[in-house]
Amino acid sequence: MNSPDILTRNNVNIKGNGKQPIIFAAGFGCDQTVWNPILESFEKDYRIILFDYVGLGKSDISAFDSVKYGNLSGYVQDVLDVCSALDLKNAIFVGHSVSSMIGILASLQKPEYFSQLIMIGPSPCYLNDPPEYFGGFEEEDLKGLVNLMEKNYIGWANAFSATLLNNSERSDVANELEDRFCSTEPAVIRAFAQACFFGDNRNDLPHVTVPSLIMQCSEDVIAPRNVGEYLAKHLPSSTITFMNAIGHCPHMTDPVETALIIRDFLESNTESIMREDIGALHE
Amino acid sequence: MNEQLNYLPSGFITLSKNGIILSINETLLQILDYSSEALIGKHVHAILPNPARMFFQLYFIPLIMRKHLVEEMYLSIASKNGEEIPVLINASLHNEKEEAVIYCVIIPMRNRNEFEDQLLLAKELAENAFEEKNEALIELEDALKTLEDKQEELKKLNQQNLIFKTNTEKELQLAKKIQETALTKDISNEKVDILSFYRASNELSGDIYGFYQINPHQYGIILLDVMGHGISSALITMSLQSLFHRLISQGVRAEVVMQELDSHLHDLFQNNESAWHYCTAIYLFVDTKKQTMEFINAGHPPTIFQDPAGQQLELYATSPPLGTFEGIHFKSKTLDYKKGARILLYTDGVSEPLGQENLNLALQRHATLPLSVTRENMIVSLSNEAKDPYKNDDQCFILIELK
Repeated sequence: MNSPDILTRNNVNIKGNGKQPIIFAAGFGCDQTVWNPILESFEKDYRIILFDYVGLGKSDISAFDSVKYGNLSGYVQDVLDVCSALDLKNAIFVGHSVSSMIGILASLQKPEYFSQLIMIGPSPCYLNDPPEYFGGFEEEDLKGLVNLMEKNYIGWANAFSATLLNNSERSDVANELEDRFCSTEPAVIRAFAQACFFGDNRNDLPHVTVPSLIMQCSEDVIAPRNVGEYLAKHLPSSTITFMNAIGHCPHMTDPVETALIIRDFLESNTESIMREDIGALHE
Repeated sequence: MNEQLNYLPSGFITLSKNGIILSINETLLQILDYSSEALIGKHVHAILPNPARMFFQLYFIPLIMRKHLVEEMYLSIASKNGEEIPVLINASLHNEKEEAVIYCVIIPMRNRNEFEDQLLLAKELAENAFEEKNEALIELEDALKTLEDKQEELKKLNQQNLIFKTNTEKELQLAKKIQETALTKDISNEKVDILSFYRASNELSGDIYGFYQINPHQYGIILLDVMGHGISSALITMSLQSLFHRLISQGVRAEVVMQELDSHLHDLFQNNESAWHYCTAIYLFVDTKKQTMEFINAGHPPTIFQDPAGQQLELYATSPPLGTFEGIHFKSKTLDYKKGARILLYTDGVSEPLGQENLNLALQRHATLPLSVTRENMIVSLSNEAKDPYKNDDQCFILIELK
């Protein structure tokens, strides 16, 4: 698949006036517009890269393959494809929720693509594994979640009409109907849920070489505090920041705090690199 | 909260953008069995079971923050005693005094939920049935493919078989010709007439004969029948033929001829019992000067000797067949003959279809006609019997007239 095809397939959008690339990867089930509330903070200094995973948002739904995307590696490949298509080096990767783990796995395959990983509400494993690990959920809970998804029709009814009208003459109509901002389209969401919530990536953590920031929200039921602490302990060169924001989506509910923490981390990281350079000059 | 909202026939709740319960109406409190003090200021998670909490964070929050509207979201809420109540939620976001407030209308839907569960169950069953049907179909297609492959394989094998069969038949015909060239030609002179008939079954023959004029007044005549017929028997006849050809031509004594043939057979199979073949044989040594005939019959059907007066004598076996027991001592018998005596040697391929008595008669009936007439008549009789089951045996006979 060549680069223009990947940019279309993953609905890649580029914004901002800076040089340093920063990739924003949405969490479970949602498209790139979840980042809108914080983008303004980065537009001046960064080259912002937004994309949708295959099956979500305005991605090319015909590229969806339930086998490929029934596993996190399918989504990891989407990230790597986008990086490769844009020829990115040392990009900052900001991932929400499950995208944090996708970023980690992508960095394990191609560490040269990434300079920092910023993770909002990450979790390496959602299931409890007593006595060592408490992910927050029992298998029954996760099945209940899948059941809730099946009974909700958000997005997919529209996506269905879009498929019906999928001919070039009427593409304007299809686009109008299409709203997969936060979709529960059954085939896509079942595969994604399986890949996200039933996986266990704890063993991958010690191998990560890219420096990372863990953004731990207050009262996050999906990624509880102890999960964030577990990550901080097992991820080499990681920093954890405990947020005032409550819940699992601080970039939407508390965009100011979220953007501030990310910028702080990036600037302090850059400064430390600069200081090393200065130190070298003095010697 | 105003009275109308408080007693609205559905639940009503307001939340902060972070999900903190700001207010809750009486209807919902009754459904949940809580007092308002117990819930206000708490996070909405307090009334959500675990899966609903996840769903709330993954879908409700993004939708309400981005679209400011949630329509017909299905969730379940948990009452104080833990009962899960399926509900539909409509929500909208409003900014009040620079703070975002989420308004939610919550409608319990136990009956509709039951109906939807049934629909989902039916859908799942239908999908499973469809899947099973597809799997069965795939299995059937696989089986069909296997069958077709096997058929194709069989076809190829049949073709190979046919080629092999054709080649083998050609080879067999050639071998038959070669075998026939080893047979000696009829002898006819003023002292003796020796005529033969030889017809192999469809396969190669286990019969072999030879007659030789050793010197102007001595003749050696031999007839052998190797057990069975086909390639192995034919090869044995050929190896025996080369041996007796040499021995008889040199005028070696009858006992020695038989002794040598016997030990040759033992040598051939001494280390291989499964290839073991035996052979019946009769050897005649005729001296026209002395008018004597010496013979050894090794397990062969009796040779018929007929004196000029038509009197017949049968020369029965004088020893067991060749290649059976080791150390057989062959001893010849000698008889005198008068001019005009006739002799018939034959294999069981001739005596079985015609019958022993008919052979005797055949020799007697045409005693005054030339020997060739007798031969022709016997051939005709054999052809007439061709329909019977013996037709598959090798047929061979030798007629001798001593003049």
